[in-house]
Amino acid sequence: MEIFIAQIINGISLGSIYVLLVTGFNLLLLVAMIIHFSFPIVVVLSMYVSWIVLGLTGNNIFLGVIAGIVSAILINIITAPMFQHIMKKRGDVDINSTMVLSMGIGMIITDFLSHSVNSGFPIAFPDNLTGRNLGAFFQIGMISISRGDMISLSMGIVFVLGLFWILYKTRAGRAFRAIAEDPAGAKLVGIPILKTGLQSYAMTGVLGGVSAVSIAILLGSASPGLGDQLGHKVLAVSIIAGLGNLKGGLIIGILLGILEALVQGYWSGTWSNSIAFVVMLLAILIKPKGIFGIKL
Amino acid sequence: MNRQNETILKVDDVYLSYGHVEALKGVSLEVKRGEIVVLVGANGAGKTSIMESILGVYQSRKGTVTFKDKNVTNLSADKIVRKGIYLVPEGRGVFASMTVIDNLLLGAHHNLKNAKAKLTYVYDLFPILSERRNQIAGTLSGGERQMLAIARALMSNPEMIMVDEPSIGLAPKIVSDIFKILKELNKEGYSILLSEQNVYKALKLSHRGYVLETGKVVLTGTSEELLINPEIRKAYLGA
Ligand SMILES: Nc1ncnc2c1ncn2[C@@H]1O[C@H](COP(=O)(O)OP(=O)(O)O)[C@@H](O)[C@H]1O
Ligand SMILES: [Mg+2]
Repeated sequence: MEIFIAQIINGISLGSIYVLLVTGFNLLLLVAMIIHFSFPIVVVLSMYVSWIVLGLTGNNIFLGVIAGIVSAILINIITAPMFQHIMKKRGDVDINSTMVLSMGIGMIITDFLSHSVNSGFPIAFPDNLTGRNLGAFFQIGMISISRGDMISLSMGIVFVLGLFWILYKTRAGRAFRAIAEDPAGAKLVGIPILKTGLQSYAMTGVLGGVSAVSIAILLGSASPGLGDQLGHKVLAVSIIAGLGNLKGGLIIGILLGILEALVQGYWSGTWSNSIAFVVMLLAILIKPKGIFGIKL
Repeated sequence: MNRQNETILKVDDVYLSYGHVEALKGVSLEVKRGEIVVLVGANGAGKTSIMESILGVYQSRKGTVTFKDKNVTNLSADKIVRKGIYLVPEGRGVFASMTVIDNLLLGAHHNLKNAKAKLTYVYDLFPILSERRNQIAGTLSGGERQMLAIARALMSNPEMIMVDEPSIGLAPKIVSDIFKILKELNKEGYSILLSEQNVYKALKLSHRGYVLETGKVVLTGTSEELLINPEIRKAYLGA
């Protein structure tokens, strides 16, 4: 029972990170009309920036977190003109060309991290960021939950709720959903398509930064290959939920996190990725259009 | 409306092609403040193309569009909406996955400040929408969707509303209700450009009309004139 509860908590934390990444991917796909499957790789780059700043400042948590978030926003601003160029020519340009651009950005980042940071070795985040030094948060009988786990869990829940609040309760979120459902119809009712696309792009920058910090706290480490791994899962989750289905991505993202955590808790961490993909493979065979349906 | 007889919209020699299809071949028309003007024509005559050209959806169209004495030819659709023109699209263009209230607020996307007062106003006009405000628009009936699309237009604070084939797919009783609403809105001061294949009902409702055939205006006049015109009676009224 104690393993079960601990792994459910870890699973929800991990799942909330998938939800942030999947929702960012879906927004880019539906609103900005960019297929940016390297988005998680950009997020991992921000983790590295945060790690470097932590090292330079003697593990100043505040600066490390700020660096992670600001760098994600900056990377988005730097890459925006290229995507924007394609967005402006939408109609003439195949949006698959955004995929090539995304692939290129991903390759360059992964290569850079493998050669130039920490000699390509995995990096570890300090205990005062991850909360691992804080001891147990509570202990009832055999059940013991660490403070680090609780920080991850509450961050995950707060960020996911905040994100869905923006999507479902704000002016920008309403415009995002309208364009997502019907871009031509949204234009007819006066939604500025290009501007809203850029807004969604800016928002995914913030989302990326927040995700970078959350992953650093939850996993406590990163490696050059982490971005690819996350990228594959994000793509798989969004397709299994139904491409572009925001609420579906929320549910499947959390479920995937819980599945992985349970495999890690009861069997073996080294198998959790393979098992996750076996289950997802089965899901896609049974429901080729996604469990909750494609929203494109 | 004190400035009667003032032209609110002027469309001058507009051409539009979709690739090789020439949809509009030099269309000119105007709407005076406080008028209901109807575009009648068969399927494919170019009614939707004119409305979307006025709205600035296609940057490729040629000719000029003047609204309230300002040249708005090169403005994008979101800018045109700010100027006071709003389209109720053919097939309603309601966002089926979103709630009624979200659909309404989309109409006020450019001026949410006044949204509260506007909501009270449209709920007053359409009590059914108030009842269903938290319902997903996809669950509404055809007539309710048409009301939602009209209400959404009102949320934008327009001076002119373009209504593209509102009667399509609706039972005659509902069509009469919708036409009554349009008449009511017109009395409140909204100028209306309507497109219809339901020619008799549309001419009964409107002040003037333009008859469109394959992208050209072939006939124009007051609705009374058009109703007794022998060619119209033969082609559209089955007389
Ligand atoms: N998106 C489009 N692509 C190609 N041709 C189109 C498109 N929309 C309309 N057309 C063509 O333009 C002409 C006018 O269409 P439309 O304006 O929709 O007429 P109406 O609204 O009167 O039925 C028709 O010949 C139609 O087939
Ligand atoms: Mg039409």
